Amino acid sequence: MNTLLPNGFSDLEQFAEWALPTSTDRNRKRRASSMDAINAFYNAMRPRLEEILAYLDQFSLQEMPQDAQRLLFLSLSLAEVTIAVELFHEPRVTGGCDPERFVVAREITP
Amino acid sequence: MKTVMADRRWIKEHPDLGTGPVPTDTCTSPELFELERERIFRRTWLNLGREEDLPEPGSYVVRELAVANASVLLVRGKDRKVRAFHNICVHRGNRLVDGEKGVCKGRFVCRFHSWAYDTSGQLTWVSDEANFYDLDKGVLGLKPIAADIWEANWKVILDAQNEVYHLPFLHITYPDFCPMNEHKFSRIQKFTRFGRHTVYSVELNTDHKMKPVESIAINANPRGGQVHPSMIGWFDFYTVFPNFCMLFLAGTYVTYNIWPLAVDRSIWEVSMYHPATEKPSERFAQEYSRCLLRDLLQEDASNHEAIQASLMSGALSHFQLQDEEIQIRHFHKEVRRHIFGEENGAAAIGNNRDAAELRLK
Repeated sequence: MNTLLPNGFSDLEQFAEWALPTSTDRNRKRRASSMDAINAFYNAMRPRLEEILAYLDQFSLQEMPQDAQRLLFLSLSLAEVTIAVELFHEPRVTGGCDPERFVVAREITP
Repeated sequence: MKTVMADRRWIKEHPDLGTGPVPTDTCTSPELFELERERIFRRTWLNLGREEDLPEPGSYVVRELAVANASVLLVRGKDRKVRAFHNICVHRGNRLVDGEKGVCKGRFVCRFHSWAYDTSGQLTWVSDEANFYDLDKGVLGLKPIAADIWEANWKVILDAQNEVYHLPFLHITYPDFCPMNEHKFSRIQKFTRFGRHTVYSVELNTDHKMKPVESIAINANPRGGQVHPSMIGWFDFYTVFPNFCMLFLAGTYVTYNIWPLAVDRSIWEVSMYHPATEKPSERFAQEYSRCLLRDLLQEDASNHEAIQASLMSGALSHFQLQDEEIQIRHFHKEVRRHIFGEENGAAAIGNNRDAAELRLK
């Protein structure tokens, strides 16, 4: 799997497994991860987030180089794990229903 | 701040809703569920989709309305009008269209005996027609169902509305989501009734403490800090009786279609709508709000099931509702009014304190 990220973001390539294209996959990845793994990803991404978004905004969502799209998917995974880190302090929704019962009817791509 | 913090203010505006407890039987009784099916869901306007679901002449969508025991065919005709029909061939009742959606280029053809209908529901072909007796194709089209496009006229929907199920859970995970009184109890800004429908509005709580990534996400949403001129509060929640809700927030809106399957089973369709964007940072902001709402709703869904399980035990005959739950009081009163008729329905949620006793088995 190609894990390359744009110049200046190569330090985040160690988190390439979070560059997932669908919200369903990102949510499953979050739930299957330990809080340590989630915190490591969040703590690496958070200080870089504004820089990442400014970089990505050079492109349109539909016409993005592959490496930039991987960075976009990383940022969308950050949106996903942020709820775990900033709200629930655990990977899953505390006291929530079985999340697989929320079926995504329509994925947004990218 | 426009929000009034005083206690018991809504009942003064809506004294007809009474202050007594509200019976739980409509949530547990299979007999009342059948009455709801007949007297509510088969008789009221139901939201089945958005105009965009039918983009071109011939576009169709099939919706299975278990609660109405009906399969509904929604189709945009060559004249661009949207119509709804029972998805049933009038010959001998076979299901006409299989599949969820598509574009009908020519006609809808029943696979049983090849009877065919055009996109306006007109019966246009009967195989071996001459061998029938007094068959008049002109009067035998698909059985129509009243249909109109709600989203095309969404401001008209401001005449209709409400409900508050998810607010209490938002208090738990988002303790400062809405303005609170000095005891840290939430207060809505406004509650309005439009016939059977309601809307409650919540003012923006400027004291809300944002977390690091949340703050970046909110700031990346160009409409995040704005309130649309047609909105009442910062957050407006409409309940369009019986089962359609619309939640308006800055720069986004969400709809719920809650479809009963049985007295204790439902499908909860949640649709989140965002402005189309080509900008990655806005995409990020939208993803954040979607993840947040989804997780909060999962908390909610868990609560609903716990409540249902409790109610099915029969141990709790009435709900106790306070002034900030007046939306629920209104909603249940409307449900009962539809089931039992004007007088009996209203009487069931009156000021009768005798009804307050809890029947503990």
